[in-house]
Amino acid sequence: MHALIIDDSRAMRMILRRIVTDLGFTCAEAGDGEQALQQIADGPRPDICMIDWNMPVMDGYTFVTRVRSQPELRDITLMMVTTESEHGQIVRALAAGAHEYVIKPFTPDAIVEKLTLLGLVRDGVPA
Amino acid sequence: MSMSMRYDEPQLADVLALIEEVWRSFVGVDEPLLPAEPDTGSVAYAATVTITGGWDGAVTLEFGVGTAEAVSARMLGLDEITEADVADAIGELVNMVGGNVKSLMPGPSALSLPVVSTGRIAHSNDTVEVCRCELSWAGLPMAASVHAHRD
Repeated sequence: MHALIIDDSRAMRMILRRIVTDLGFTCAEAGDGEQALQQIADGPRPDICMIDWNMPVMDGYTFVTRVRSQPELRDITLMMVTTESEHGQIVRALAAGAHEYVIKPFTPDAIVEKLTLLGLVRDGVPA
Repeated sequence: MSMSMRYDEPQLADVLALIEEVWRSFVGVDEPLLPAEPDTGSVAYAATVTITGGWDGAVTLEFGVGTAEAVSARMLGLDEITEADVADAIGELVNMVGGNVKSLMPGPSALSLPVVSTGRIAHSNDTVEVCRCELSWAGLPMAASVHAHRD
């Protein structure tokens, strides 16, 4: 399983990388949505993108809409990982095509739980 | 600790709860955040985010000498820490605290990207400090404050 972590915060990318690599995922990083789209185009195709909302150049919501506009990318699981906690924003992201939504701060267990709910992790290892 | 209570301002207890939650999740539970007397030393690093929209203000974290480096090293799991690592780490901490303060206030609002400085961050004359807490982590000084925009 391959994860793409999309966050302008290097600290957050490091933290999420540690969580998913401890589970056995391979991992790539992008500092904004535009970089992430380029990485997806260049390969390898991620199984999951973990996406911050507020980023320069291209924010996470726009990234989600761009990915969902491309049918060939429909198998990529999209999970928001963000401080945006307003109900309207959550609804907006899910309506745009995000599969899951994690509000910062989070614990590693919360991430693992979400990945398990998404079917990407089973019994603590990549499915 | 000092505070100015208004119906439409962040409450100190709520801000403290948010900071503690962020700390537990990302800095760990081995060393708790404790209330402290105001530190007379210099502010070595500060990080701030602004909130604009339904409520206008700023959330700021200040770190005494050595505090930011120690917090960042713990958060990132690094033995050696660079200034860039510190900026990343405390920027993300204030991003999370500020994002959750935003959710307490009338919306909709937008959260800025974090700004990190060496030294204290000056706030403009059209803002007033509405909430401040002096804290200690592993014996190292830090503080958190919330400023509200005033017309």
